[in-house]
Amino acid sequence: MNNILLLEDLPEIRAWLKSLVMQVFPTARITECSRVQDALHQVQALRFDLALCDLGLPDGSGTDVVAKLALVQPEALSVVVTIHDDDEHLFPALQAGAYGYILKEQSRELITEQLHRIAQGEPPLSPSIARKVIKYFASMAKPQANAMPEVSLTERESEVLLRVAKGFTLPEIGVQLGLSRHTIADYVKQIYRKLNVSSRAEAALEAQRLGLFRR
Amino acid sequence: MPAPCPPYRQRCAASGPRRAAAGSGLAALLCRWMVAAMLALLALASGQARADVQLLEQALVASETADGQPDWDLSHLVSLPDDWANIPGQRGVLWYRLALLPPQRPAPGELYGLYIERACNVVQVWLNGQLVHDGGRFEEPVSRNCHRPQLVPLPAALLGPRLNTLDLRVKGYSLDEVSSRERAGGLSAVEFGRYEVMASHHARRLVFAIRLPEMMSGALVLMGSFMFVMGWFNRAQSYLAYFGALLVGWSLLLARLWLSNTTASNWTLELALAALLGFITLASVQFLMRYGGRRLHWLNIALPLQCLLLPATLLAAGPTRLYTTTGVWKALLAVQITTAALCYLADVRRQNRQRFWLMALLLGLLSLSLGVSFAAQTLPLDARIGYVAELVPALGFLALGLVLVQQYGRAFQSTEQNRADLEVRIHAATAQIERNFTQLSELRVEQVTDRERKRIAADLHDDLGAKLLTIVHTSDNERISTLAREALEEMRLSVRGLTGKPVKLIDALGDWRAEVVSRLSQSGVQGEWSAPPDDDVPQTLSSRAYVQTTRILREAVSNIIKHSGASQCSVRCVIADGDFQLVIQDNGKGIPTELDGRLDKGHGMASMKGRAKQLQGQCLVESGPGYGTVIRLTLPLERHTTGA
Repeated sequence: MNNILLLEDLPEIRAWLKSLVMQVFPTARITECSRVQDALHQVQALRFDLALCDLGLPDGSGTDVVAKLALVQPEALSVVVTIHDDDEHLFPALQAGAYGYILKEQSRELITEQLHRIAQGEPPLSPSIARKVIKYFASMAKPQANAMPEVSLTERESEVLLRVAKGFTLPEIGVQLGLSRHTIADYVKQIYRKLNVSSRAEAALEAQRLGLFRR
Repeated sequence: MPAPCPPYRQRCAASGPRRAAAGSGLAALLCRWMVAAMLALLALASGQARADVQLLEQALVASETADGQPDWDLSHLVSLPDDWANIPGQRGVLWYRLALLPPQRPAPGELYGLYIERACNVVQVWLNGQLVHDGGRFEEPVSRNCHRPQLVPLPAALLGPRLNTLDLRVKGYSLDEVSSRERAGGLSAVEFGRYEVMASHHARRLVFAIRLPEMMSGALVLMGSFMFVMGWFNRAQSYLAYFGALLVGWSLLLARLWLSNTTASNWTLELALAALLGFITLASVQFLMRYGGRRLHWLNIALPLQCLLLPATLLAAGPTRLYTTTGVWKALLAVQITTAALCYLADVRRQNRQRFWLMALLLGLLSLSLGVSFAAQTLPLDARIGYVAELVPALGFLALGLVLVQQYGRAFQSTEQNRADLEVRIHAATAQIERNFTQLSELRVEQVTDRERKRIAADLHDDLGAKLLTIVHTSDNERISTLAREALEEMRLSVRGLTGKPVKLIDALGDWRAEVVSRLSQSGVQGEWSAPPDDDVPQTLSSRAYVQTTRILREAVSNIIKHSGASQCSVRCVIADGDFQLVIQDNGKGIPTELDGRLDKGHGMASMKGRAKQLQGQCLVESGPGYGTVIRLTLPLERHTTGA
């Protein structure tokens, strides 16, 4: 984690987040932005390993930055940092390619730990998000799912999602399924990835459909 | 129509009700009925008994002198019928003297009769110098009895034993003075016989010459005025008005047959009759044109002009050239009507094959009967054929009138039906619109409310949330930081209560479990969670109930983590008797009794209880030093579920 993008409009919070990130990744170079436009420019100009993006910004939504990053730098990890804990706000960002989210008002210790986990490839997943993901994949049109077999969920991934939705923590699920914590984390990562890929494919299909209509 | 139709009657009756349903059926029936009636009339008219009847066919004829007596010295012999139309200049009053032989075996007290088929215009009868019959006025306005047969009863006592002298005084007009040959003066052969025989002859002729035309006139006037009014108020069917006018005109034309005594002179009446022909032409041409779907504007001017022109030319020509002038006009009018009829037939042939044949038949019948009645005047045809031919057009008009009324009725019915259908559809559409409008407005209210809530929520998040967050992360004071964090959490829950949709209890349990278990495990407390199986939890929580329960649970877990020093905590969720029960039990040191009340705020027990009360539930806390704490939250599910 050498290059980190930090997108946050409130200066105090940005400073606080920066100190926190520097504590977790002491050697990292941190690029700070307070506006979506700045961040988009930075994403074009620099390579990032990790991006922490606020959602509600004065000139737009951090989701745009997440989407851009997923497009031009797929290997970069995007994490949403927000005070919105409801899936209505979070889900679009996850669809755009975020690999997790951190709630801003949590204690420094908690956030530090979550950052560590994300960096190690263990993104968080709340029950309500899991339910939303299940619903999303279930509602995907059949022909569309058939057209993209690589982005439909495997049985195991569905199993993990169902258990998360019921309120089980990832370690508990690991115990229940007889899988290592690492494997479970991999499933969660896969779920995030598939959510992003299929959302993008869906958006492309939708755009195509609209284009066909306009023609 | 009194005439029966023996050969057709059965079939008429059998097919009547079935056919009447269809328009063409009705028309065909009428046509057939007309033909049958005509045949029956002819049969009736020709069936005459000749027994015991003296036919007087020879007469001496003499002019009347100035003193009103005949000048028998200048008489000459004529054979009857004597038709004045064949003798130019024959007009005024003529006396006919006939020789009448008494019956071979006259019975005393027997009544005999004289039957004069035609004495035009009016006749007086003298028997052996005695006036025995006066047919009407001899001065202007002269009675018009050309078509009216005369019956003179002759008692046997008046008859001499040998030859009797029968003098007939006849007043008539020359052909030049009338518009139709049928009204030129003349005397038919005279029949003498037993009174009842003569009376039957007279009665039969009376029916054909007078009674039937009277009836027809009445029927035509009735139907004509009815159709005229119908067409007048319904301009789209103006042909009905013209047809009505045609019928009325025709009934007036028929009146010439039966109308005897008027107050107008012969010249006036003949002029009016000729003018009537112009009117009939106007009505029939307009009817045919409009019924066929043509509206020619120049006809609207030309035909009325012609109606005025016709009497004008007659007036100009004068009373002595009436017959010739009228003849020219009749030919002209006949050409017009024929042209109109052919035009109409051509039109209707394109539109409606069935109606074409019907109308062609009707028009053909009309023209045939008109031709026959015209021919009957000039050719030596039996007068009865003329009378029958006279009645056929009237019958045809009545039949056509019925067809038109039937068409009109059907059109009216279908219009009514359409209107009713339309009304039903309008009702349905109105109801649909109202429903849609209601739905739309409900949706709109919902949308507006939802948008407003979202706006408030966004404002809270962006402004209040950001400031609280800044306090959380910048305050050096841990207590202030914690308070701000709690405030932030409270705010978020409030926003959720504001904007949130109902939550499925099963989903809520998932959320709570994840939060409780992860928080406890992070704090090193061993957590245990038990909940009913998924299938037993179909209920839904209102978002308010969800938020309040989340707060209570969060507060309870916070208490355990912060104050209890417990190493174990179990949370049990139970659904029983329509209540949702949450039991949170720890093995910590419990809440000190002396703190119960004053310092309770630190544990948030009061607020937990308050929140439970808001939800019509209760929150019981059992605690004692060393016993740990048990918090029992009970919520009635009925009040906080919105559908299962």
